[in-house]
Amino acid sequence: MDAKDILGLPKNSFPGAQEKKTRPQKDSQRKPDGIHREVYALTGGMAPLMPTIEISHLKKRQYSEKEEKISWQWLPFTSSARPDNLQLYHWVRVVNGVPPTGDYSFAKYNKSVDVLKYTDEEYEKHLTDPTWSKEETDQLFDLCKRFDLRFIIIADRFPFPQTRSELNLKYLYMTRALLLARAPSSTDVSGHPIVKEPYNMTHEVERKRALSAVLSQTRQQEQKEAEILAEAKQIMESRMASKVNMTHSAEEVELPDNQIGNEGAEAAAHDESALPSPNIHLSSSAATPPIATVECTSTPASLRMLRVYLRTHALDQMVQAANSTAGLRTIKRVDQTLQDLGVHLKPKVPTKSVCAEHLELRKEILTLLNLQKQLQNREAEATANRDNTYAEASSTPKRAYRGDAERTIVPDSLGFGGDRVSKRDHKRKVPGRFMDAPPSPPQSKRPRKLKSSDG
Amino acid sequence: MYGGDEVSAIVLDLGSYTCKAGYAGEDSPKAVFPSVVGSIDQVGVVDEVKPEKDSEITYDSKNADKTKTRKLYVGSQALGYRRDQMEVISPFKDGVVDWDIVDNIWNHAFRECLLIDPKEHPMLLAEPSSNTPQQREKAAELMFESYKVPALFVAKNAVLTSFSSGRATSLVVDSGGGSTTVAAVHDGFVLQKAVLTSPVGGELLTDCMMKSLESKGTTLRPRYSFKKKEIRQGEFQIINLDFPNTTESYKLYSQRAIASDIKESVCRVPDTAFEETAYANVPMTSYELPDGQTIEVGADRFKIPDILFNPSLVLTIPGMESFTSSTSVSGLSQMVIESINRCDVDIRRELFSSILLAGGTASMLQLKERLEKDLMEEAPQAARVKVLASGNSTERRFSVWIGGSILASLGSFQQMWFSKAEYEEHGVSYIQRRCP
Repeated sequence: MDAKDILGLPKNSFPGAQEKKTRPQKDSQRKPDGIHREVYALTGGMAPLMPTIEISHLKKRQYSEKEEKISWQWLPFTSSARPDNLQLYHWVRVVNGVPPTGDYSFAKYNKSVDVLKYTDEEYEKHLTDPTWSKEETDQLFDLCKRFDLRFIIIADRFPFPQTRSELNLKYLYMTRALLLARAPSSTDVSGHPIVKEPYNMTHEVERKRALSAVLSQTRQQEQKEAEILAEAKQIMESRMASKVNMTHSAEEVELPDNQIGNEGAEAAAHDESALPSPNIHLSSSAATPPIATVECTSTPASLRMLRVYLRTHALDQMVQAANSTAGLRTIKRVDQTLQDLGVHLKPKVPTKSVCAEHLELRKEILTLLNLQKQLQNREAEATANRDNTYAEASSTPKRAYRGDAERTIVPDSLGFGGDRVSKRDHKRKVPGRFMDAPPSPPQSKRPRKLKSSDG
Repeated sequence: MYGGDEVSAIVLDLGSYTCKAGYAGEDSPKAVFPSVVGSIDQVGVVDEVKPEKDSEITYDSKNADKTKTRKLYVGSQALGYRRDQMEVISPFKDGVVDWDIVDNIWNHAFRECLLIDPKEHPMLLAEPSSNTPQQREKAAELMFESYKVPALFVAKNAVLTSFSSGRATSLVVDSGGGSTTVAAVHDGFVLQKAVLTSPVGGELLTDCMMKSLESKGTTLRPRYSFKKKEIRQGEFQIINLDFPNTTESYKLYSQRAIASDIKESVCRVPDTAFEETAYANVPMTSYELPDGQTIEVGADRFKIPDILFNPSLVLTIPGMESFTSSTSVSGLSQMVIESINRCDVDIRRELFSSILLAGGTASMLQLKERLEKDLMEEAPQAARVKVLASGNSTERRFSVWIGGSILASLGSFQQMWFSKAEYEEHGVSYIQRRCP
């Protein structure tokens, strides 16, 4: 409204006139006869397309539709499932005065299991068992019949103390013998499930023993077990780690180590009475295959699981540990030096002494290289200090940076390698560091951590 | 297969505290009344005709030579009225059942409460899980001979409770008035070797509550012993009435009624085992006695229910030292674990995961949580412990009856009744076969 005032447009009366026109139309739509406006609006403002309630439905339904007369009566009934003729009463839907015929509808649910009955002679002939008396057998079969072969309950109610598996076994054995005895030929009965699958008593006994062991552990026992297992695992891991870090490790030590691991596992296994200890078997079998052939394929994690100790793998780790203080370039120098000396990079016969010697050699080479580089650095410093009087801006930073390089990168390569490194540092560092150059030399003697200058 | 078919059977459960009776197919018993009777011994006196509300049956007492007769009063209405020289006796005394009293109670249930004629209705009786075969036979005999029922079935309490929750296999912990029973049910049958009972029940807890209150100086005045007279509006004065001829047992009975009400309203099961020191400063709850006194209940709120779990607490209550147990009584959790361990290994897991609570004492607050917690600590980790209890306290009290109601109205149960014809043909011991 105000906008229109500002713009100077006249206020339109057009839309208002249009609204007034449409309103009476809608009003006429909203009020059909006989229905309230709101109710009509419930259906969406339109009349339904099909009538939902027929008037004929509203009249009382005539029973003349069906000719039958239905009433409910309290009538007696008998059930074929009962041994006697007890008459109980219940409500029955009577159609046209005729009560329903036929057996009791629930009688068909009276199913029971077929338990073979034997006569005395059959017992004499086939089923005598020295450990069991006839009364026991009789009672067993009687209980089987009553309880539909629910052996847990049969075992519970059996007057003589027997375990459930024994009863089960006995029953199956008996039935089998009976079936075999009665069958005219063995092929007829071989399809019968009892004949086909003999009851594996030992398996059952073992299974039950294991299950009872698992279930009868109290909470404290389980906690203790968990603790022991965790401890054993920790010990193993620490042993593995220490093996990697320490230099001496012999094959003889390896086996006792595995054995110690085994003992730890055994101690844990004693508590878990039922679990077999796969570790013992695995490690004893793993010690035998040739170690050298496995090196490439196995990962460290699986190694540790198998408790197998690979010499070469350990050697690699030790070499890596030793080389961690050196740069990649240094490592290459070392390797190159080794090759110059005629020594294989990886010893062909990795026994304890050979590996130890190899490592020693590597360390000595490293030390040699370090000393050489430091010597070179000192000489360069000395010459730099002499040349300091005619120092150019480019060279001093170079030297200063060399000093910085000394400070931060101690074990550097010889000769051109060192120059290249320092040049790179020159690019990276800010000229302001030039001020720190002089006091650097005395600090350079301290070995510093390698800075990966090669990027 | 689980369709229902009404044959208008009657379900009757005579418990140690209350008797429940009603029609099968309904969801709660119509008749619930205490299972004790009041009896007045009369020596050779002709009985006066009493108003019809009392059930009067005179029976000769067991000693046939004396001419003593006694009049029995059954039902909560009859017992509520104080009479001179009326003794309160229970049909179960130290494991021996007084069939006389049982007969009276049944009669009262049929004729006064349910108003039926037992001749027309098959009867389902609930019996304790550790019932002996002789008692079973005696009950059957009584039913067939005196009441002439057309058919009978006797079922164990634990099985019925299990059915009331829809399971065929479960471990039922039934803590009722007189005792607590733990029983394992497998596939609808009770494993008899795994049934354990303990005398710790609701009544013992009520006694402990009473003694504890008395030792603190509160006397529970039975309702009949005082009268309230209104002096001013809203204020009452208590006038003591004196009835010298009231028997001790009746007085005890009335006091117990008050104490059990205190117990039900105030007590809670503690979350952990009860210790005197820990609960010394717990805030007190007040309770108003019928005679207007207000008492404060403090640590006893938690101590009394913990007796279920730790029965040795009973000895710490002054006045209850007479509760000596010849066999050591174990707490609830130990009973559960022991019962399960006596079962076959294969079903133990299933039993652990379906433990049912039933009985009046099981409606105590926090009992389910405490039991679950205790069991989870004690049970092996491989088993998952789950304690189930219906939320409704009515259902817990009547779970045995409800299970009977379900069972007797099943269509496929109708073939299992032990009928009169069979009884006459095979004799009463046949019941052992028909009702496993």
